[in-house]
Amino acid sequence: MLNSSIDHLKDPEPILIANKVTKHYGERIGCEDVSFSLWPGEVLGIVGESGSGKSTLLRCLAGIDRPTSGEILFRHNDKPISLFDIPEPTRRKLMRTEWGIVHQNPRDGLRMDVSAGGNVGERLMDRGDRHYGKIRASALDWLTRVEISEDRIDDRPRQFSGGMQQRLQIARVLVPEPRLVFMDEPTGGLDVSVQARLLDLLRVLVRDLGIAAVIVTHDLAVARLLTDRLMVMKGGYVVEEGLTDQVLDDPHHAYTQLLTSAVLAA
Amino acid sequence: MTTMLKAEGLTKQFVLHNQNSVTLPVFAEVSFSVDQGEAVILHGQSGVGKSTLLRILYGNYRPTKGHVHVRHGDAFIDIVTATPRRVLEARRKSIGFVSQFLRVIPRVKAIDIVKDPMLARGVADDEATRRASDMLARLNLPERLWNLAPSTFSGGEQQRVNIARSFVDPSPILLLDEPTASLDAANRDVVVDLIAEARQNGSAIIGIFHDEAVRDRVATRRLDLTAYKAAA
Ligand SMILES: Nc1ncnc2c1ncn2[C@@H]1O[C@H](COP(=O)(O)OP(=O)(O)OP(=O)(O)O)[C@@H](O)[C@H]1O
Ligand SMILES: Nc1ncnc2c1ncn2[C@@H]1O[C@H](COP(=O)(O)OP(=O)(O)OP(=O)(O)O)[C@@H](O)[C@H]1O
Ligand SMILES: [Mg+2]
Ligand SMILES: [Mg+2]
Repeated sequence: MLNSSIDHLKDPEPILIANKVTKHYGERIGCEDVSFSLWPGEVLGIVGESGSGKSTLLRCLAGIDRPTSGEILFRHNDKPISLFDIPEPTRRKLMRTEWGIVHQNPRDGLRMDVSAGGNVGERLMDRGDRHYGKIRASALDWLTRVEISEDRIDDRPRQFSGGMQQRLQIARVLVPEPRLVFMDEPTGGLDVSVQARLLDLLRVLVRDLGIAAVIVTHDLAVARLLTDRLMVMKGGYVVEEGLTDQVLDDPHHAYTQLLTSAVLAA
Repeated sequence: MTTMLKAEGLTKQFVLHNQNSVTLPVFAEVSFSVDQGEAVILHGQSGVGKSTLLRILYGNYRPTKGHVHVRHGDAFIDIVTATPRRVLEARRKSIGFVSQFLRVIPRVKAIDIVKDPMLARGVADDEATRRASDMLARLNLPERLWNLAPSTFSGGEQQRVNIARSFVDPSPILLLDEPTASLDAANRDVVVDLIAEARQNGSAIIGIFHDEAVRDRVATRRLDLTAYKAAA
C-alpha cells in the first residue's frame, strides 16, 4: 500500500545527458563508459586522484574535446541535441551563449589585455546587447557581486591578484546567465581564506541563478559545500556515485573509503 | 492516524575494505512506522546503531537491505531507492535532521543560516527574518551574534543556531540525534518545549536522547534496538 506513488511529482527533463562517454588517448584511457543525467539547478561534483580522468571527462562534456565513443546530449529549445553531431560553429555558439566554463587557471578564461569591465561586458555583447550604458552598468553590477571594487573596472586582469582574477573569471562566465556551468578546480591554487570567499560566492550564485553545474575538484570539503551529487573516478572509471553526503559519509567502494579516510572531517 | 514514515526490514552492515574487508554487522530487519504527532525514542547502548538508523532514515547512510517510505505531501518516497534529486526534495520539504553539530558554512551569518530553510520553502524574506529573530531570542542567543558567522561561536552557541534553524519551521518528520547534548538546563527546557510544540503541530519525531529526564518528557513511545542486534 505504501508503494511509492509519486507519479504526480512531474520531473523536468535533464539539461545534460552523458551516455557511455569514453575518451582514449591512443592506448591510454582518459575516461571510460561514463553515463549520467544532470537536471536544472543541480550541482554535480567529480572527485578522484590525479590522472583519474576528471578533466578529460569535463572537456568532453563541455564540448571542447570529442569523445572516442559515446554521446553527450544537451537540451536546447526543449529538445536534446547531440553535442558532437552538430556543426562546429553551432556548437561554439552554444558554448558561448548557453553554457560557461570556469578554468582552473584564470588566464585560460580571461582576456588578459582587456580591462576587467571589458572582460565582463564583452560577454554581454556576444549575447547581443548593444547599449553601452547598460553594458557598463551590468558589468559594474557583476564586479560588485564578485567583490571587485568599482574603481578597478578599468584595470587589466594582470594587475589583479590570483583570487581577484578567479573572481573576475567567474563574473565573466556567469554574466550571460548560462544554464549550465563547468568548473575545473575553481579554487585550486588559492589560499584558504580566498577560497572560502570564492566558495561562498559560487554557492550563492548557483543557488540564486538556479544554474546546473559540473565541478571537478580534488578537495572533498569543496565538494561537500558546493555539490548535490558526487561521482568518484579512478583510472578513468566512475567507481561510485550518489548524493554527496551519502558518498562521503557512507562510502562503499574501497577507493572512496580510502579517499574519505585520508581527509579529516570533510 | 496518518503514517508519516515507515521503515521496512532495515539491515545495515559496514564493509571496511581497507581493513581486511572486515564486515561489521550493526542491526538486522528493523521495521516500524511512525504516525503524525508521535515521538519515538531510539534506545540501546552505545554502538547499538541508533545514529546509524537515524542516518539511514534521512538517506545519509545506505542500508544493506530494506526501505524507508517517507510521506511527501500525499505520496510516499522510498528514500533508499529514490533518485538523489528526489531525496533532496524530500529533505527540503518533508524530513529534517538535527544533530548537536552545526555544519558551518564559511561567511554565512547566523540569522541567514536560520532563515535559509524557510526561504527554500518560499517564505517571504521579512517574515523569515522575523521568525528567525524570535527563535534565536527564544534560545537565548545574544543578539550581537546574530549577524556574525558562527565559525567563531562556542559549541553551545553553534548548537543553538542549528536548533533554531531546524525548529523555526519544523519539517513534518524530524530526526533528532542528541540535540540537547551539552546544553545548559534552561536551553534544554526550551528545546524540550520546541519538540512538544512541533509534535502538537503534527510533526512526527524520531530521536535519540541520552538524558533520561529529557527522554521521559519527550517520548510517546520507545524503540529498543538491542533486539535487532545482528550476530557478529
Ligand atoms: N592530451 C592528452 N594526451 C595524452 N594523454 C592524456 C591527455 N590528457 C590527459 N591524458 C591522460 O589521461 C589520463 C586522465 O587525465 P586527466 O587530465 O583527465 O586527469 P585528472 O583526473 O584531471 O587529473 P588531475 O587531478 O591531476 O588534474 C591521464 O593518464 C593523463 O595522462
Ligand atoms: N560511517 C561508518 N563507517 C563504518 N562504521 C560505522 C560508520 N558509522 C557507524 N559505524 C559503526 O556502526 C556501529 C553503530 O554506531 P552508531 O553511531 O550508530 O551507534 P549509536 O547507537 O548511535 O552509539 P552512541 O550512543 O555511542 O552514539 C558502531 O560500531 C560504529 O563504529
Ligand atoms: Mg585535471
Ligand atoms: Mg549515536
